Amino acid sequence: MKNVRVWFKKDDECRYISHLDLNRVMIRAIQKSRLPVWRTEGFNVHPYITFSLPLSLGFRGERESMDMRILDDKLKLDVIKVELNKCLPHGLEVFDVTEPKIKSGAINSAKFKMRLSTDDISVEELYSKFQEILSSDEILVDKKTKKGIKKIDIKEYFKDAKHYDTDHDIVVRVTLPAGSTTNINPTLLVNALQEKYAIEVYYDITRVDVFDTEGRPFE
Amino acid sequence: MIKSKLEKILLKVQKPGKYVGGELNAVIKNKDEVDVRFAFCFPDTYEIGMSHLGMKILYSLFNSKPYIWCERVFAPWIDMEEQMVKNDIPLYALESMDPISEFDFIGFTLQYELSYTNVLNMLKLGNVPLKSSERTELKNIVVAGGPCACNPEPIADIVDIFFIGDGEEVDLEVIELFRECKKSGKSKEEFLYLASQIKGVYVPALYDVTYNEDGTIKSFTSKREGVPEKIEKRVMMDMDKSYYPDNFVVPNVEIVHDRAVEEIFRGCIRGCRFCQAGFLYRPVREKSVDCINEQCHALCRNTGYDEISLSSLSSSDYTQIVPLLEKLSEWSVDENVSLSLPSLRVDGFSEDILSKIKSVRKSGLTFAPEAGTQRLRDVINKNVKEDELLDTCLVAFDGGYSTVKLYFMIGLPTETLDDVKGIAELGQKVVNTFYKAENRPKGKGVRVTLSSSSFVPKPFTPFQWEPQDSIETIHTKQAHIRENLTTKKISYNYHDADTSFMEAVFARGDRKLNEVLIKACEKGMHFDGWSDCFSLKKWLEVFDECGIDPHFYANRRRSFDEILPWDHIDYSVTKEFLINECKKAYENETTPHCREKCSNCGAMKHKGGVCFEKRSCMV
Repeated sequence: MKNVRVWFKKDDECRYISHLDLNRVMIRAIQKSRLPVWRTEGFNVHPYITFSLPLSLGFRGERESMDMRILDDKLKLDVIKVELNKCLPHGLEVFDVTEPKIKSGAINSAKFKMRLSTDDISVEELYSKFQEILSSDEILVDKKTKKGIKKIDIKEYFKDAKHYDTDHDIVVRVTLPAGSTTNINPTLLVNALQEKYAIEVYYDITRVDVFDTEGRPFE
Repeated sequence: MIKSKLEKILLKVQKPGKYVGGELNAVIKNKDEVDVRFAFCFPDTYEIGMSHLGMKILYSLFNSKPYIWCERVFAPWIDMEEQMVKNDIPLYALESMDPISEFDFIGFTLQYELSYTNVLNMLKLGNVPLKSSERTELKNIVVAGGPCACNPEPIADIVDIFFIGDGEEVDLEVIELFRECKKSGKSKEEFLYLASQIKGVYVPALYDVTYNEDGTIKSFTSKREGVPEKIEKRVMMDMDKSYYPDNFVVPNVEIVHDRAVEEIFRGCIRGCRFCQAGFLYRPVREKSVDCINEQCHALCRNTGYDEISLSSLSSSDYTQIVPLLEKLSEWSVDENVSLSLPSLRVDGFSEDILSKIKSVRKSGLTFAPEAGTQRLRDVINKNVKEDELLDTCLVAFDGGYSTVKLYFMIGLPTETLDDVKGIAELGQKVVNTFYKAENRPKGKGVRVTLSSSSFVPKPFTPFQWEPQDSIETIHTKQAHIRENLTTKKISYNYHDADTSFMEAVFARGDRKLNEVLIKACEKGMHFDGWSDCFSLKKWLEVFDECGIDPHFYANRRRSFDEILPWDHIDYSVTKEFLINECKKAYENETTPHCREKCSNCGAMKHKGGVCFEKRSCMV
């Protein structure tokens, strides 16, 4: 038995499915593929899979990963990729299967690409408001936690964000805390913009990559 | 166009995955390469519609023809509907994302009466005129089938064509006719007339109805020569040869019944007098073990589902049930596929079956005695005896179960308060049975749930002439059950009487109700099968505005010689048989099921199925 890490993209129709739905879709794909995957031995037997880091509903993911155990040690990793892709819906695509090098628990941050737009004001105006909010002393937002809603300041997290505007939207690249300890969802900034300026902001967010505590890409 | 507008709203609604398509096995064709485009609409949410077997069968069947492209359409939930209206997005089909107004056919499956408002609302959201007479061109042909098509009259002004009976053949014949008519440039009127010549097709626009002063029907006549007076249902007699998909569209978001489904037979031998399906789908026609086995295996392989449900109206009545379960387990165990067997009867529940079904979770069992006393069970011909029920519970308790759910109906014909009290008493007897079970789960209490719905008299049943209990009477009866419960081990819940009342109105309604539905649609009414949306007050206002008394349809006793709104539809079961069954009910007299003795209902004319099986008493 060996552990494998399945790398996939989540996009198009599948960006609109939740983490729980993704779990179900993957289990069915594994079942359909008939790959020799280790199953739980409880009452409700099912292929054992774990995701490194859940992705918010609506986000695109370019480098998502899922771990599972393969019963046949000689099975080529490439075969897993090919067989799974035959069984996945449009919008989910496995691009690599590797042996895991870093533990999921070591994940510390994630890099996002955000595209923001609005119908309420022009892109120039939106961009100047965006810059204004980033340069303000603090950016207070409501963050949902297990204990309830908490006010937090997210200014610090966005201080290294890179951004520019295009004809129809603003593009932002930012690396935020992610993993088992702290998670900062990039939509918090969207919420702050909407609230402060009473405009409706559309967002299209892609999680581009995931890093460990030392800043190395998650492998 | 629709796609880019959708991107802006999808993140504002619950479960946006329902509105984007792209599922595994969804059929994508090139619209320029097909002759007929069919929008298959389910007038309820994605989660419910995607669970519906009939839609899966017809979707795959239509798409198996290269010249047809069938797509799926569901009713958007309230939040999505609001966003679509606000952003000017018309109702679209999930495969092509094209608006339904671009389709040749707009087909609805009518599963329950309270979805009628959704039928109208979906047409409205698609910018399709509601009335058949307002759609004059040979396009947007609105067709409908399913159990509620047995009384098409309440939506006869909306629908162009109703399919009566099994759809596998008649639907294709009508689509093929349309294709020819479109090629030769025929009018919609000509097409509808030609369609009416096909067996199993009802075109309401070709008939006139007149009424007596008391509101009952005086006459029902065809407008044009050659239009059949009676519309006979279509029946697929050879179920092994009947089309069945080897593939389902597998949803990305969770739906109500998220598993593979295999139909093992159509119809029911039992003849419970309240049950419409038991009469509509006669005669019983089984699939063979080999056929079921192959179809199940293909479905699991193609979908990736690890659970398969063997579906029918009463699964334990399948004659080969044990050999079937054995055959299936030859591969299902190795492939990690579990089997489930819904609709088990109290008298069909054996340890033999139980041991082979893994997914009957140890948590709970559900049975439907339907009535609380033997007398009333005899009236409704639910041939289940109290000791059978208690014996079955004993087996279950000894086998480790500790929770039992019992379903009942209240408001049944001839019902007294004593019968109602019997429901509470039966619950108590089940509790007592638990403590008689020697191998009952230790350290666990027993939980019995009694659940009651209100009886709705339906067309084509022996009770089609019966009045429904008033809402007040139902409330009295519900209270009576509650008052007679003495232990906390029994919990009691009940269906809302208001919705059952509206269901009864539309189940046996006539053409006058079209006006009511149109008015309800104007007022934005929808999702009336959902307690989130249903409002009796709103409905009563609509009826009032139309000057129509809903009690005329629900609470009036009809005479055997009254012309019923659905008398021109023929489901093979004769009126004489139904009258006879009704009279027997009044005498507390039961009727044996089809395998015991033929009761000459009329279904034998199809020359097959259970009517020609060898009966055990004859062997």
